[in-house]
Amino acid sequence: MSALTFEGLGKSYGDIEVVRDVSLSIREGEFVSLLGPSGCGKTTILRMVAGLVAPTRGRILIGTEDVTSLPPNRRGLGLVFQSYALFPHLTVYENVAFGLRRRGVTGAELDRRVKEALALVRLDTYGQRSPRQLSGGQQQRVAIARALAPHPRVLLFDEPLSNLDAQLRDEMQIELKRLQRNLGITTLFVTHDQGEALSMSDRVGVMAKGVMQQLATPEDIYHRPATGFVAGFIGKPNRLHGIIASRDGAGGSLTLGETIHLSASRLEHPAGTPVDIIVRQEAIRLLGPNGPDSFGLPGEIVLRSFSGARVQYVVRLAGGVEFVAEAASNGPDAALAPGAAVRLAIAPDQVFATLRDEAGTP
Amino acid sequence: MISRRQGLLLIAPLGLVLAGFFLVPALMLLPTSLREYSPGTGFVPNVWTVENYLRIITDDYYREVIWRTLGLGLFVTLACLVMGYPLAYLIARGPVRWQVPLILLVVFPMLLNLVVRSFGWIALLANRGLVNNLLVDLGIISTPLKLMFNLTGLMIGLTHIYLPFMVLMLVGAIRNVPRDVEAAAATLGSSRLHVFTAVTLPLSAPGILAGSILVFVLTISALVTPRMLGGPTYKVMATLIYDEFMQLLDWSSGSALSFTLSAMAIGVIWLSSRITRRWAGMA
Repeated sequence: MSALTFEGLGKSYGDIEVVRDVSLSIREGEFVSLLGPSGCGKTTILRMVAGLVAPTRGRILIGTEDVTSLPPNRRGLGLVFQSYALFPHLTVYENVAFGLRRRGVTGAELDRRVKEALALVRLDTYGQRSPRQLSGGQQQRVAIARALAPHPRVLLFDEPLSNLDAQLRDEMQIELKRLQRNLGITTLFVTHDQGEALSMSDRVGVMAKGVMQQLATPEDIYHRPATGFVAGFIGKPNRLHGIIASRDGAGGSLTLGETIHLSASRLEHPAGTPVDIIVRQEAIRLLGPNGPDSFGLPGEIVLRSFSGARVQYVVRLAGGVEFVAEAASNGPDAALAPGAAVRLAIAPDQVFATLRDEAGTP
Repeated sequence: MISRRQGLLLIAPLGLVLAGFFLVPALMLLPTSLREYSPGTGFVPNVWTVENYLRIITDDYYREVIWRTLGLGLFVTLACLVMGYPLAYLIARGPVRWQVPLILLVVFPMLLNLVVRSFGWIALLANRGLVNNLLVDLGIISTPLKLMFNLTGLMIGLTHIYLPFMVLMLVGAIRNVPRDVEAAAATLGSSRLHVFTAVTLPLSAPGILAGSILVFVLTISALVTPRMLGGPTYKVMATLIYDEFMQLLDWSSGSALSFTLSAMAIGVIWLSSRITRRWAGMA
C-alpha cells in the first residue's frame, strides 16, 4: 500500500524547469530521502507535497486521495523545517498543542497528546518554556513533537539537521531514525548531506537539475550508482578532467593526462566527449611497486594524511596526474611514506564519467 | 561587540545636543509652570503655586481639550493602523516589482509641505469645498456636511498626514515575520485567516506598537494641521498651548499644559507597550 505517490510531478517558473517529471511511490512506514545539491529541486518537491507550492504538472496522492489542489491545512501532513519555525510567541506546550487545537482536540485529550509528543522527544519538563530559551537541538525536537502530535499521515523533513553542529547532528540522526521506526510513520526527508540520507533511509532518491537520477536502497546508490552524477555526488570522489577515448559495448576506455588509460564498464556518452572522470578514493587499491602481477598504474606517494579510521594518500602518476587513495589506518598500507613507489589498481566498475557541467558539489 | 564605554561615546554627540538644546530648556520651563501669572503685569513675584496644574484637572474647558486630544490620537492611530496594515502587507508580501512604486507612493505626500497639504484638505472639506459641492450636486445631501472645524476634519487631515509613518513601520515588521513560521501554521491545519490572526499579526506586533506610538505622539502634539483644519475655536492641546504662549502671554499655564501633554504621551507609550508585550508573548 503506497502512502505517498507522485505521478509525473513537475514545476516550472517561467521557462525554468526546476522539477522535471518525477514519479515516485512511498510505501506505508517507509523512510525515503531526496538527496542532491542545492537547486536540484528536492525542496521544491517537498513544498509541493506540503501544499506550499503548486505543481505545474502531475499529481500528488496521499494514500489514494488526490491532494494536488488541496491547501496545506487540509493535507494532514507534518512538516519540520531547517529553521525550526517554532511559534516564538507561544510556549513549547502551546507550540505542540497548535496542530491538535486546529483539529478540534480539547481538554484532557489535548493535554495527554501534547505530553505524549513531548515525551517522545524527551522534553517532558520543558512545556512552559519559551522556544527562545532552548538550544538549537531542543528547538528542533520541539518542532518534531509539534509535527508528530496531530498524528500526520506523512512526515516531511526539510534539511532538519543542517543548522545543528556535527556531533548533535549524529545524535539526532539516530534519535530520528529510532522515532520513525517505532512510530512506523511514512517519512520524506530532504537533505544535501549524503551521510544523513544513506544512514537513515530505506530508499534514497538522488536528484540533479530537477531530474531524479536514481531511486534505490542506500547500498545500491553507493555501490551501484546509476549515473556519473550519482557516482560523483556520493562518497569521496576523485574528479579529474579526461576524455572518452573509445566505446566498447556499455563501457569503454577513458584517457586522462597524456598517457593514462582507464577502462570503465559503463559510460553514458559517445567517444570523444570531454568528461569528468570519477573514481572514489575508497575504490582505489594500493599495490606494491613490483608485485607478482605488474598491472595497475605506477606512481609515487607525495602526501600522507591520517584521519582516524582512514589514511589518505595523494599519489602522483605519470604526467603529474594526482589521485587520492584511501586505506584503513590499521591495515598493511597504513604506513607508506612520501616518496614510496606504488601502483594503483582501479576496477572498471568503479570508474565513472560525467559531463563537466554536471559536476555535483555536495 | 561594542563595549559600554564605546557605546556611550557613540551616542555622546547626539546626547549632548539633546541635553543642551532640548532637555535643559524644557526643564527651565518647570519653574515657569509653578509661577502665578497675572494678566497685564506678568509673574507675581515670590509666589509659587501648583494652581496651573490644578486648573488643568479641574477646569471643564481644559479637561474637554485633553479628552479631545487623547481621543483624536486614539482615532487617528486606529485609522492609520486599519488602513495602513493591508497596504503594508501588500508592499511586504506582494509582487516584487510593485514594491518600489508603492513605497514611493506612500512617501510622496511627505515631500509636500505640511501647510500645503492642510490647505488641500480645506479646499476639499470646506462648506463650499469639493466634497460638499459634489455631494450636493449629486443630490445625496441637501445642505453641506460639517467636515471642518470639528473632530471629523482633524481626523481626516491627520490620518492622511501620518499614514506614511505607520505604513513604513509596518512594512519592516511584516517583512520580519518568517515565512516558514506561517507555513508551519498552515501545515498544522490553519486556514489563511487563522495563519494571519494567530501568527502574522502577533509576530508583527513590534511594528504595530512602534507605528502606533509614533502616530499617536505625532498626532497629540500636531500644531499646524489642527490650527488650519480646526480653526480658531476648535482646539487641541498643541494649539491651546500655542495660544497660551503667543496670544495670552500666559507662560505659566502654557508650560503646565506642555508638561501635562508630555506626561500623557509617556504614560500612553508605557501602557501600550505593556499591553502589546503581553499580547504578543514578548514579555
